[in-house]
Amino acid sequence: MGNQAREQELEQQAKLLNETIKQLFKERGEIDFAKEPVLNKRTIVEYSGRMRADGMEKFNNPTYVSFVNFYIDAKSMEKHSALGALVVYVEQSYIVPLMKKLKYPPIDDEDEDAMKDGCGALCNIIAGAYKSALVAGGFAELEMSPFSNYRNTASNGVEFCFKEWDKYEIGYNLDGEKRLVVELTMGAIPKRK
Amino acid sequence: MPAENHKMKILAIDDADLERELLIEVLKGSGITNEFLQARDGDEALEILGKNYRDICLILLDWQMPKVSGMEFMAGVIKVPAVSKIPIIMVSASGTDENKKKARDVNPSLGGYIVKPYKPEELVETIKPFLK
Repeated sequence: MGNQAREQELEQQAKLLNETIKQLFKERGEIDFAKEPVLNKRTIVEYSGRMRADGMEKFNNPTYVSFVNFYIDAKSMEKHSALGALVVYVEQSYIVPLMKKLKYPPIDDEDEDAMKDGCGALCNIIAGAYKSALVAGGFAELEMSPFSNYRNTASNGVEFCFKEWDKYEIGYNLDGEKRLVVELTMGAIPKRK
Repeated sequence: MPAENHKMKILAIDDADLERELLIEVLKGSGITNEFLQARDGDEALEILGKNYRDICLILLDWQMPKVSGMEFMAGVIKVPAVSKIPIIMVSASGTDENKKKARDVNPSLGGYIVKPYKPEELVETIKPFLK
């Protein structure tokens, strides 16, 4: 697949992710985004073979960061040979109200582990819904990792497909401000047989 | 054997504390009074199951978990006669037909497959037939 075709495919996958998130938030929390989420292509910043994921860059405020990886199959997962990554950033002050809107039990905002866990639960349902949307869109079934959670920065970075240079960043405004950012990087996904 | 009127326990396995809390809140809110045991991964669940299997009537199982995944846990459990008859319901964010088929291939007696985020009534209706 040529570079241009890959760029187009990544853009399509990011659009699919955005539609999936909008539908999930609508169905689960009756949340409509007043402003259309903004999709921006960004260059992946790599260190030690991992992708940098820094929440402070997104909000300039304390942030919780969770991610999952996608793999072609179970064998690739065992080898940590990722095809893609989905990273969720939520501003610290918005974890509690967001999860309440999504009808989860209350989270203690003074408990860092509970806040991380809330961000992870959100990342997990977004990634699961996205994986299903990919299959519905004619792509092969991917393996999905458990979520990993951090405060402010994913200290060890995030596994990603080393052939990829770009990621998409999607910003979501809630209650009048940007509160949620979701990033996607993805290698070429085989089509379903 | 459990004494008469003694309700058996439900083992909820999920790496997200919040998902376990939600699950228990939904089920208790619907009037289910069984006691819950909780595990964060398959490894922890195996330990709990080993100590409590006589009292457990149902396992609610996430798929993507660290250490021992839900599928690995289930593949192990169905090989052990003492626990293989305990019904298992998958509760996972991954809900494609292929995932459901994989789960049923591993455990042909799978009690159900619920996709997160689920509707509370769907969860309650699916688990009710298995409660003791």
